[in-house]
Amino acid sequence: MTARLRDVAIVGFAQLPVVARDEHRMAAEMLYPVVREALAQCGVERDDIDYQVAGSTDYMDGRPFGFVMALDVMGSWPPRQDLHLEMDAAFGAHYAWLRMQTGEIDTALVVGHGKTSEGEPARVLNLQLDPYYQAPLGLDPVSTAALQASAFMARTGTTDGDLAEIAARSREAGARNPDAQVRTPASAEELRRTPWAVEPLREGYLPPVGETATCLVLAAAGRAERLCDRPVWIHGVDQRVELQTLGARDLTRSASARLAAERAFQMAGLAAASDVDVVELAAATPVEELILREALGLPRRGGPVVNPSGGPLCANPLMSTGAIRLGECFRQLAGRAGARAVPGARRAIAHATQGHCLQQNLVWVLGTERRWA
Amino acid sequence: MSAEPPKEPVKYVETTLRLPYHYVAGDWRATYLRALKDKRILGSRCTKTGKVIVPPVVASPESFAPCDPELVELPARGVVTTFCIVNIPVIGRSIELPYVAASVALDGAAISMYALIQECRPEEVRMGMRVEAVWKPDGERTGSHEDILYFRPTGEPDAPLASFIDRL
Amino acid sequence: MKRAVAVVGVGQTHHASRRAEVSIAGLVREAIDRALLDAGLEHRDIDAVVLGKAPDMLEGVMQPEQFLAGAVGAHLKPLIRVHTAGSVGASTALAAVTHVASGLYERVLTVAFEKQSEGNAMWALSPTLPFTPPLVAGAGGFFAPYIRAYIARTGAPPHIGPMIAVNARANAARNEYAHLREPMTIEDVLNSPMLWDPIRYLETCPSSDGACAMVIASEEAARRGPRRPAWVKGGASYAEAMWVPGRDQVNPKAGRLCAKAVYDQAGIRDPWKEIDTAEIYVPFSWFEAMWLENLGFCDLGEGWKIVDRGEQRFGAHLPINPSGGVLCTNPIGASGMLRLAEAALQVMGRAGAHQVDGARTALGHAYGGGAQYFAMWVVGSER
Repeated sequence: MTARLRDVAIVGFAQLPVVARDEHRMAAEMLYPVVREALAQCGVERDDIDYQVAGSTDYMDGRPFGFVMALDVMGSWPPRQDLHLEMDAAFGAHYAWLRMQTGEIDTALVVGHGKTSEGEPARVLNLQLDPYYQAPLGLDPVSTAALQASAFMARTGTTDGDLAEIAARSREAGARNPDAQVRTPASAEELRRTPWAVEPLREGYLPPVGETATCLVLAAAGRAERLCDRPVWIHGVDQRVELQTLGARDLTRSASARLAAERAFQMAGLAAASDVDVVELAAATPVEELILREALGLPRRGGPVVNPSGGPLCANPLMSTGAIRLGECFRQLAGRAGARAVPGARRAIAHATQGHCLQQNLVWVLGTERRWA
Repeated sequence: MSAEPPKEPVKYVETTLRLPYHYVAGDWRATYLRALKDKRILGSRCTKTGKVIVPPVVASPESFAPCDPELVELPARGVVTTFCIVNIPVIGRSIELPYVAASVALDGAAISMYALIQECRPEEVRMGMRVEAVWKPDGERTGSHEDILYFRPTGEPDAPLASFIDRL
Repeated sequence: MKRAVAVVGVGQTHHASRRAEVSIAGLVREAIDRALLDAGLEHRDIDAVVLGKAPDMLEGVMQPEQFLAGAVGAHLKPLIRVHTAGSVGASTALAAVTHVASGLYERVLTVAFEKQSEGNAMWALSPTLPFTPPLVAGAGGFFAPYIRAYIARTGAPPHIGPMIAVNARANAARNEYAHLREPMTIEDVLNSPMLWDPIRYLETCPSSDGACAMVIASEEAARRGPRRPAWVKGGASYAEAMWVPGRDQVNPKAGRLCAKAVYDQAGIRDPWKEIDTAEIYVPFSWFEAMWLENLGFCDLGEGWKIVDRGEQRFGAHLPINPSGGVLCTNPIGASGMLRLAEAALQVMGRAGAHQVDGARTALGHAYGGGAQYFAMWVVGSER
């Protein structure tokens, strides 16, 4: 269908350690050091970057036009080619990648910002639902996730114990991640004893509310090698959305994640998800992880290391969660993952999501080689 | 409550949304606001260019360099750079119409800040007019932007255009 | 290396202060259905959807593209949501152009809307926030000082603003989709209340419900379509920081750079000569004069003279906003896309009663924020 794709890599990633609430800094003030650090990692000045994309939402910010403040801390002088998406920054990264494919830009800065702690996500995210039928029911994202979990567990026979194991694994991984918010391990038994948040989801299976700022640097072949000693190449990427209406789709399967993965794998020449070494899924609950494993063709257990960062269970800063999945894969493949490095990791899958019950999904295939085979 | 279905098709769904937000001021902004209570106006100096931004910011939007966390005090006087005459009432504040909304560049600041101009007729206001802050009385200031009630003319000769053309 | 991209279908709603007879999805579909019909396509022909709108507080729905995914035909397709303040409709269209120019998508549906009657628009745009100086005088109060500065710089006479407003209404009378279409006179404008000197009530944009949609296609797909497309000759979106010392909000740098980038891509060296018509974002009358200068149609200080001489009227040398523009129709999220879509309609020869004779090259322009975001394109009837 298309001419050969242009090779693009992630060459830098910076974030603040995720915290429940940064009492000292506004969102833009959290973003500034992260942009500086990402540029410093690449050894470049702001003027060397062709393009900037930001991801944030007004309702998370509790104000209209909240994203405008980020311009002042991203080096937007002289004026820059710019875009802002009302989405997780991971989707901004996809857009930057698309723009690179046009040949118009060679480098891009992608930022995510937002202070989740300022609002009450349960109430705010209720507003993502259609205002006529679903929002008035008062559904918050934990409740909708619980609906999905209930249906999934019924179809597959997944047990509470299964969920606890996944959560425990994530907690253990998160304990090795200095940027995670929750950094204490917890056993499956402990987590199974936590009270129900909304059955069948226990409090121990749910992410904390937290915030951060993130910055990714992307560069096309020819530039990427000069900005990073070990660029992480994007072999394939795709994103898909589904209908929102909860009753109108099979919540136990993510058709959009499946399709996005199929297309991303095809682009990358990846035969099966199990062929990669690391997978970072933006799964807010263990059930979401299982649904995504199924959609991507990963086994329920074993296979590649999933969420060595601890995943969203250990840090879920909205607007940056997806970007962090990408950033974590970058760290793993570029040899910057410290104590949580998966030895010999050469290929990875990163995922991002938007909306209730995995309504929209973005899948990346990444590798240490410019092209795989 | 009636169990009868509505006779007319439902046309509107009235929903009142109430969302509590608990904002972080940020240390720099909080310091600025607290200083207003003491009738002090603080700005931040760009570590690269030396220009002072008010209210203070952590980084200069112009140079992209960080600002010095040691904030700088500016005099509560400056010059009107641009303005307009407003005929729309202000909710929650009794202001005589029409009134003047202006940008005021404080002495030593590299940019203007938004302010009301009072104690003169609107038609007397002009670009370059020198003004000084009028504060809420002692005991009434709370450490908020409203601690500066407005600016009023000082009666000094107008500032030359060249002195504020870069600070509109 | 750059792939050619074209507009193959345009649709918009009949804009009004309140479209009470349709839901949000209904409003959006009105524009989308018209665009698809115009393009001779169906939803299954669309490869991706790029949606844009302004603050979600205007409708009280967060990220409404999520609940609209089905209605906009995005099920199992890629979807993104753009938000760049007032310029969003235009930057959204340009993001759709990028999708096609990337070579990965053949036909992309782009839609921008606002159903701002659903919420309280004034509150939604400027709620009182702690620690933030209150924008006491409203949006007009923010821009009026720069209009005064323009008048001071150029010595423009006071009737220029009212002339622009009157001309916009005269244009809207020829546009069946426009919100405000009643003609008015200079006297009407002068008799209307002065809000923020020098802006009078009848020199301000309305609050409208409305949507706009386009189908953007690759060259190959465009050539297979039933109609003459509008070829995208150049496009760019720029943004600049707010609190930059010496930032010129009368003649913003981001606007100049954006225009230059677009003209360079389109091979335009003399906009006044080479552009046949322009749809530019004018929410308060005087911006028409200011943007004529910022966009390089004339030297600095000369913009108001073009208006004074009537050279920007319908039928004159460079008709500006033949649709009536933002002064007559302003669903905030859609306004930027309407400018770009109207430019496309002109070079497609399908602007109906407001068609500019022989228009072959047109500019669509939008801006947002504190004159910080600029997004524009040039479209032409020839590839």
